[in-house]
Amino acid sequence: MNRSTSHAVRIVLILGLLGASVFPIYWMIVTSLTSSANLFADTPQMLPDPSQAFNYADTFRNTGVLTWLTNSAIVAVGTMVLSILLAILPAYALSRFRFRGKGGVGFLLFATQMLPEAMLVVPLYAIFANLSLLDSLGGLILANTAFTVPVITWILKGAIDGVPLEVEEAARVDGCSRLDIVLSIVVPVVAPTLAAASVIAFFHGWNEYVFARTLVSSQELRTASVGLASFIGELSTPIHTVMAIGVIYTLPAVLFYLMVQRYVVAGMTAGSVKG
Amino acid sequence: MTKFSRRTLLKFAAGAGAMNVTRSFAQSKETLTFAAGLFAEAGRGDRTRAWIEKFNKSQDRYVIEPVAIPFSKLADTVFTQMGGGGGPDLIRFDQTDFFAAVPANRLFPVDDLLDLSKFKFQAADKFVKVDGKRIGIAFETANYAMLYNPALLKDGAPPKDWDTFLAAAKEATGRGKFGYAFRATMPERAGFWFDLSNYVYGFGGQWGGGGEPLLNSKEVVEAITQYKRVYDLGVTPKGADAATYRRMFWEGKIGMNIDNGGVGGIFSAQAPDFKFDAARSPFPHREQGITLTMLAFNANSKKKAGAAAFVDWMLQPEPQAELQLLLGASNVATQIPRAEEELKKYPWVKSFDENTPYGQPFLVRSLESKTLDFQQVVCENVLRCLVGGESPKKVMDDAQAQALSRILRR
Repeated sequence: MNRSTSHAVRIVLILGLLGASVFPIYWMIVTSLTSSANLFADTPQMLPDPSQAFNYADTFRNTGVLTWLTNSAIVAVGTMVLSILLAILPAYALSRFRFRGKGGVGFLLFATQMLPEAMLVVPLYAIFANLSLLDSLGGLILANTAFTVPVITWILKGAIDGVPLEVEEAARVDGCSRLDIVLSIVVPVVAPTLAAASVIAFFHGWNEYVFARTLVSSQELRTASVGLASFIGELSTPIHTVMAIGVIYTLPAVLFYLMVQRYVVAGMTAGSVKG
Repeated sequence: MTKFSRRTLLKFAAGAGAMNVTRSFAQSKETLTFAAGLFAEAGRGDRTRAWIEKFNKSQDRYVIEPVAIPFSKLADTVFTQMGGGGGPDLIRFDQTDFFAAVPANRLFPVDDLLDLSKFKFQAADKFVKVDGKRIGIAFETANYAMLYNPALLKDGAPPKDWDTFLAAAKEATGRGKFGYAFRATMPERAGFWFDLSNYVYGFGGQWGGGGEPLLNSKEVVEAITQYKRVYDLGVTPKGADAATYRRMFWEGKIGMNIDNGGVGGIFSAQAPDFKFDAARSPFPHREQGITLTMLAFNANSKKKAGAAAFVDWMLQPEPQAELQLLLGASNVATQIPRAEEELKKYPWVKSFDENTPYGQPFLVRSLESKTLDFQQVVCENVLRCLVGGESPKKVMDDAQAQALSRILRR
């Protein structure tokens, strides 16, 4: 195979993979913009029909999608901020301190990830009921944070391991306290990893369904994932509406990812090359 | 700068005071939550909410707040919440989930709420009584019959017996259209069970009786054989879920569908110009399933007086008539004659109502509380026959053995 042929094969492969990953979203858009009569046509409509854009207007007008998206954003951002705040210090401790039971603590943190949400939701519901945390976005943020903190702690620990000790020692000679060192030196150095960890926490909060469905019952506190599922009816499902909300639901998450993508890539590659 | 007179200030104070009184009065109303998959339904959901709003307006002590939970997730969600000591005060349960909740003592008896002897209940009411206690109220009873699209059938007439049904289904299939539709996948296990049960009842069988499973009885095996025959005939949109093929129906793509009256109501609401009709199912026996949904009361709820007020209101003739009208071809808890205008507007309703005496709930008779376990065993084994090619007799013998060992521990 000569060079130009191999180049062409590579391009075709890349385009094929790109098409396979983008196609479900494209199909969602096409379906949301397909007329009712064409929905089950013998030949499927492959291009979106702009004249059906009123489906989106109807969705905004007739559903609580804006409230749901706002709730999802509050839960996702809350989970992200709280997770990062709570994970930094344990990550630093696991990286820098030697103490009895350190391995056990690290293992227990990971062990929390072995338990599925569905198993924990009943005891969590009972605890939240006693603490009056049910039916509140704050409670939902706490539940999600409990799941993201262990993962983020380990991610940050790995990044902090790569921060040279000499830098901290120099800071201590200059009179910095431990907390000052963490906040002024360690955090800026591991900022790209923090961005990557933030994305993980944000997406967990944005997509989470089981807790959001069980711990919150008020219509006005419903998150977008639950709102979207609420259209799956007993007798019928309004496909246009589901697809339109699906597209609307995907957009903020994609935009957020595009905004922090640069840092995420930097975070993923940080520490991959020594010296 | 504007100057305020003493009178203006007093007016403001009085207004603010009045607002406060109103607010505290509104807050003093006790809110009860009512969870149902129905509230998420397009059309019927909005109308049911409006119906509940009439109760709220009639009350100065209680407010019912509808909670829409997807039908397929309702039982999981509510059981989880009940297990945690909470959950909605009122729940509209599907019959199988209702009977799963009863032995766990998750529901409190309605007899303890108020005297119901003054109401004339429908025949299906007997199914909501367990050990002589009324555990719930039959909220909606939907009979099953055959919906058909005259445009896709020869002479526009429905088939009268099984052989003509098979021929009609075959004839109507082709060029993006299908003669018939039913469920045959595990993701729609409950609907799969309903469709299978209609075949079993229609061929003279029952899933259980006298405390014994009857999964490999002659009638049940014959029903599964015919179910597989239709599956193999290539007349159904295999893999399409019910929501999809029902929509296909009102888009003119499906010839026949054995379904409940609520579906007819959805067709009328979503596609008012679409011409369809209903007829007796083409099975040899008249018995057909009923989708029975119960209004049940969460034993964790502390708001029993509010629940009693709602039950008393909903069982009155006017709210019952309104509920029956908004639910489509379904029956409500009490015996309410259909309005003439409804029958004129929806003539197909008659075929569903005619099946009332033949209605059988989708339960394993005499083993009702184990229905969900039976559902799993039966659906798993029938799939082996549909896609694995094993014989109906073999898979139902296996299902019977599994039911005895896995469910009844014998």
